[in-house]
Amino acid sequence: MSRALPFLLVGIVLAIWETAAQSGRWSPLLFPSLTRIANELILFFTNSATLLEAWVSLTRALGGFALAAAVGILLGLLMGRSKLVAGLLDPLFSGTYAVPKLALFPIFIFVFGIGSLAKVALVFLECLYPIVIMTYAGARIVNRTLLWSAQNMGASRAAILRRVVIPATAPFIFAGFRVAVPVAMIVVVITEMVASADGLGYLVIYALSSLRTDRMLAVVVVIAALGYALDKAVVLARDRLIYWEKLDTYYV
Amino acid sequence: MRFALSVFILLFSINALAAGPLIRLGRGFAAEEQLWLMTARPDLTPNQGKRYELKQILFQANPERFQAYLAGELDAGTAPGLAIIFGRAQGMDFKIVAGVCQEAAGGQYFTTVYMVKDDGPIKTIKDLKGGTIGVVGIRTATDLWARAGLLNAGLAPDRDTKVVPMAFPVIGDAVRTGKVSAGVFVEPFYSAEMAKGGLRKLFTATEVLGYDHELLDIFFSEKFLKAHPDAVRAFLADYVAVTKYYLGNTAQAKTDLHKAGFVRTPLPAYLKTSDWKRDPNARVDVGSLKKLSQFMLDKLQWLEKPVNVDGMVDLSYLPR
Repeated sequence: MSRALPFLLVGIVLAIWETAAQSGRWSPLLFPSLTRIANELILFFTNSATLLEAWVSLTRALGGFALAAAVGILLGLLMGRSKLVAGLLDPLFSGTYAVPKLALFPIFIFVFGIGSLAKVALVFLECLYPIVIMTYAGARIVNRTLLWSAQNMGASRAAILRRVVIPATAPFIFAGFRVAVPVAMIVVVITEMVASADGLGYLVIYALSSLRTDRMLAVVVVIAALGYALDKAVVLARDRLIYWEKLDTYYV
Repeated sequence: MRFALSVFILLFSINALAAGPLIRLGRGFAAEEQLWLMTARPDLTPNQGKRYELKQILFQANPERFQAYLAGELDAGTAPGLAIIFGRAQGMDFKIVAGVCQEAAGGQYFTTVYMVKDDGPIKTIKDLKGGTIGVVGIRTATDLWARAGLLNAGLAPDRDTKVVPMAFPVIGDAVRTGKVSAGVFVEPFYSAEMAKGGLRKLFTATEVLGYDHELLDIFFSEKFLKAHPDAVRAFLADYVAVTKYYLGNTAQAKTDLHKAGFVRTPLPAYLKTSDWKRDPNARVDVGSLKKLSQFMLDKLQWLEKPVNVDGMVDLSYLPR
């Protein structure tokens, strides 16, 4: 029953949507029926050109995310285990976290050009913050008893990092990933909407400019599905890699 | 007390009736000077406040304006001819009732320009193969002209040359730094970039299409036209009067618009900019809209079926 609940909720929302769309109260150009959106979805998945656009967006999002993960874990661990590095970088990250990096996109275009590089760079920057901050938080609160035990058993600093610090921080790293993954999708789509000749964001703008809300919503569904799939992939990887942790909160 | 309230309601109702219906008009941010002047200089519009009320609402782009219209938040608006063709193709119930400005050949008028780096390798449109053109939006007029230019030169848009959207203010530097091979320029950005130097003209909107054509028009919902024909006539009578005033007193009109905050360009620069062609009687070149519609259907495949252009224009509300 509990597994069916989310589907039930989605079903209710879709039923309300369809009833409202069929009521004729709103223009179908503004509020298309589910049938029209479904037709556009079928067209999307049967057209290699539109699938290619999805692939372009996905590679940009994953490219920026992967870079942010590599740099973010390194910086977060360094900040968590070194007072000096934390003193240097913490004010920088805290002070600029609230800055909407998307506002910097025109500068990114001038530095990296109008192609994929500017978009990947902005995804990297937006994803870096949650990963660094979560990793930093995790690395700071590693159980001291574990650290002392490892030291008493003669473990080297590298071994302590590999065998104690990183495994203890891993749940926080994955929490950062779960925040960063949807951010990557959002940023890539928005940057493609602003300046691009390809990708899912371009398809959204193309559909909107053609007054095809049904087509635009079909692309939005694809974006949502991709975001959902990426999040599930992160959760799957987390459950496989840090099987000893129970991260989810269970209601009894 | 009850008597006083009744008198107040009666007076309020009489005043509301005397003012005429409210026209909620969605406007843009470029090339609509005579329309803005109706708000900046209400003294030029004798019918305003008596036979109609006017509320102008600013929109940055056409899709948002059309969405507001579909949501019932607008009665009228300005839009490029091709955007109205798109709207009609999707079944939107509006009609063009007057023109705002046109892209026209001739030294006395401004026509949208595509420029490249002065010392760059691009000498003709054919040289854009493998390059990128910056336009202000996908499926906008600037996109259409860029594609028309490429097609004329035997290039396939998107395959041979990419067309990417960019904001007007950044296109100049994007061309200079080689981020895009060519870019589109309208006033006041054109004059500002020419003053900086380093760019030269590659083609214009009128050159690539080969004929003068509608740039911006005024549309009204069919529902509003049917419900308030007299208010629309009064509005258009004022609009035509203001257009004639603007054409006869351009410097003063521009100064007034600048003072009212409709234009942010420094006044000396704004006064120097050349202007699009504006018909003093606000007539619409229906023939050019038909050609545009055909071009969108045949060459660009932007339309799935032909659009009845005659059916989307109604100039009977204009002063005779």
